[in-house]
Amino acid sequence: MQLKPKVSVGADASRMRAKVARRRLIAASCALLGATAARSQDATKSAADSMSDEWAFDSALAYYHESGRVKAIEPIVNLSKTYGDGRTFSGQVVFDSLSGSSPNGALTSTKVQTFASPSGKSLSAAPTTYTTSSGQLVSESAPIYTINPGQLPVDPSYHDQRLSMSGNWGLPISRLTTTQVGGKLSYEHDFVSVSANAGVSRDFNQKNTTLSFQLNDEFDRLSPIGGAPVAASDYALFQKGGGKTKDGVGAMLGLTQVMNRRWLTEFNLSVDRFKGYLNDPYKIISVIDPSGNTTGYLYERRPGTRTRKVAYWENKAAWGRLVLDGSLRYMADSWHVRSDTAEFSARWWNFDRDRYIEPTVRWYRQTAANFYTPWLDSGGSKYIDYASADSRLAAFHAYTVGLKYGAKIEDSEDQSSSEFNVRVEYYQQTLDHRTPGPGSLQGLDLYPGLKAILVQVGYKF
Amino acid sequence: MYRKSMVLILIAAAAVLASGCASLGVKPWQRDVLARADMQLDSEPLTHAIDDHMYFSKEASSGGRGFAGGGCGCN
Amino acid sequence: MVPATNSAPDPALRLEERGADLLAVCFSSMASSCELLLPAADRDAALELGAMAAGEARRIEAKFSRYRDDSAVADIHRSRGSAAGIELDPETASLLDFARECFELSDGLFDITSGVLRGAWKFDGSDRVPAPAAVAALLPLVGFDKLRWQSPRLWLPAGMELDFGGIGKEYAVDRAFQLVAAVREAPFLVNFGGDLRANRPTPRGPWQVGIERPGSERQAAMVLELERGALTTSGDARRFLLKDGVRYGHILDPRSGWPVRAAPRSVTVAASTCTEAGLLSTLAMLQGAGAEAFLEGQGVMHWLLR
Repeated sequence: MQLKPKVSVGADASRMRAKVARRRLIAASCALLGATAARSQDATKSAADSMSDEWAFDSALAYYHESGRVKAIEPIVNLSKTYGDGRTFSGQVVFDSLSGSSPNGALTSTKVQTFASPSGKSLSAAPTTYTTSSGQLVSESAPIYTINPGQLPVDPSYHDQRLSMSGNWGLPISRLTTTQVGGKLSYEHDFVSVSANAGVSRDFNQKNTTLSFQLNDEFDRLSPIGGAPVAASDYALFQKGGGKTKDGVGAMLGLTQVMNRRWLTEFNLSVDRFKGYLNDPYKIISVIDPSGNTTGYLYERRPGTRTRKVAYWENKAAWGRLVLDGSLRYMADSWHVRSDTAEFSARWWNFDRDRYIEPTVRWYRQTAANFYTPWLDSGGSKYIDYASADSRLAAFHAYTVGLKYGAKIEDSEDQSSSEFNVRVEYYQQTLDHRTPGPGSLQGLDLYPGLKAILVQVGYKF
Repeated sequence: MYRKSMVLILIAAAAVLASGCASLGVKPWQRDVLARADMQLDSEPLTHAIDDHMYFSKEASSGGRGFAGGGCGCN
Repeated sequence: MVPATNSAPDPALRLEERGADLLAVCFSSMASSCELLLPAADRDAALELGAMAAGEARRIEAKFSRYRDDSAVADIHRSRGSAAGIELDPETASLLDFARECFELSDGLFDITSGVLRGAWKFDGSDRVPAPAAVAALLPLVGFDKLRWQSPRLWLPAGMELDFGGIGKEYAVDRAFQLVAAVREAPFLVNFGGDLRANRPTPRGPWQVGIERPGSERQAAMVLELERGALTTSGDARRFLLKDGVRYGHILDPRSGWPVRAAPRSVTVAASTCTEAGLLSTLAMLQGAGAEAFLEGQGVMHWLLR
């Protein structure tokens, strides 16, 4: 029997009538409650309004500045929503704009060095040739730049813009099990990355233990300006091909455990494997003779595969008005890079819990990739196996100190609450194993490291 | 020396598992502190995204908290 | 857990601590125990919100009570049979609009004029089943289609009665909900005698709602999880007659004047508002043996005990 079947009808028709009747009932309920609410002096929300779920909006603008090098501006927006049936959606859009000087991998020299910039935009013109001061032939319409003695070679016209979008959906399939799918698209003028992920998590032990498993698949396409250089080829010969690709798969196993009323811990183990063109197409290596003269440059060459294993452990604990967050991470990859990361933050709320300050410290160290070399000896073999002078593959340690301030703003008008926050961070890298250069390079600082500052303002509601 | 921290993390993980997950945790009505926004593991997704991107482009390591990938083509 | 009681500014309000970090403001209204549940609230705020909910419950009770001389319902009853009828205030008018819509939608099953049948039926657990003639004599006074309603004016024929009892409590929950929601964004739950509505899950997860098995007081037959929205339960609990082994439940079919056969012991329905859920659970009871099929057809979440 349905709400209003006057005559006996077929199942489909009666089901439709039931739907129509239900809609009339909902409309009647809303009319009753909405109408009286509107008349009431102090009621503000109608029943229909309070039924709809709201979007959570989180936004931030970050400014990053490396001393003497790149600057970046990065606006980022995150929208998320939890539906009444437990489904979740979260979407993120990031734009960043990078400009400034980026190290090209070459070594500081006692002489003026001249390079062709691959990152200029006016590169479609027909190639021309230059004979540089060091007697090399550079064949490209690219603007050239010169680096003074004692200065770290950086490409001064480095600029890049990135647009990245990602979405993640969580779909509960039972009271304890949730599946999750997501995708990400990242676009730069010389790089496109597409990835998809899927996972499942399950709660145990009164939702105190959560096990999760996730798979990720990524495909990247590099189309460097002027083409991707042939690995380990002579910089002067300008051997470049078209675009290159790389792809990666990853898996992650996670365990989250509620330890007690105020302590939560998480372990993640992940493995990923990338293969394809893993070189940085803009990085070169200086070839140095025993007296310290630069005799040429080669493009770098990295292995075609890289497997990474990461163990991550995070703890979160609340104590009164304090929230402590500490994490440890260990990474090992098939390039023999090993790294340790320790990060700690303490958020301290004021008495009313509407303002907080949060100091952060982070310490990081890594060993060098087994093919890292600050330069190549001119007397060495002409056929190198793998080599890179990219300082990101060198042995170094780094620390970060930061401070964040947040304030909640309550809007009594529409009962909403929002948060405004500011964060300042200082990051410094110092290279380890500072092998002195041969001959004339002996007195030079070949390992300048990196200093950067990050300022972030955020607003969420 | 570098192996040590991996071992440390695994021992900690094993300790939690061995002590029996059932004896850990809280009753549903004791979740008041854990339910707070600032006690969620992903409470600051944007700060994490910005930090991860910075470290991804300056260091050889990435990931841990989640998948890294997708970043710029520079590493 | 021993409830810690507090002296409230409104002496009829009782503040209880239920477990860690859950305050309940309890009061009596509409012959039910009522409560407003507030996780993570301070006591002063809880009492203030509780007073709001209690005030609204009592306002509605006073206005629509059948037992009070000064109620809007009493005014209506005094106007019975008059040529001028009576002009209703906007709130009563919208309730009457709603009642008419329900009457039409349910093909006469839901009828706020069916209260006169109580003259024949006394559900006191005895075996005093009325004579069929006594019931039949009352039927001419039952039927929403017999009154004349042209908003805002109502003409109620002599002898007929209006009874908002079937929707009053659910309506009161929704009204109290709206008042509290207007000033509190954090989770809360309004519960008037088992008809309840929550705005969002508690910090510890969904609300756990125990549904009593009729007859076995304090023993939850099942526990439901409610994130947000309304839950209402209709049941024939302890109100019935028993004669010659036949159980006569208190749910009367207004068209026949007799109890609905094979009505479920209890029907619980989830919907966005208490008014809607309450109507669906009441209608399901009125379907008797067809309750399951009816609820399936409506596509609502429901739990049924027979």
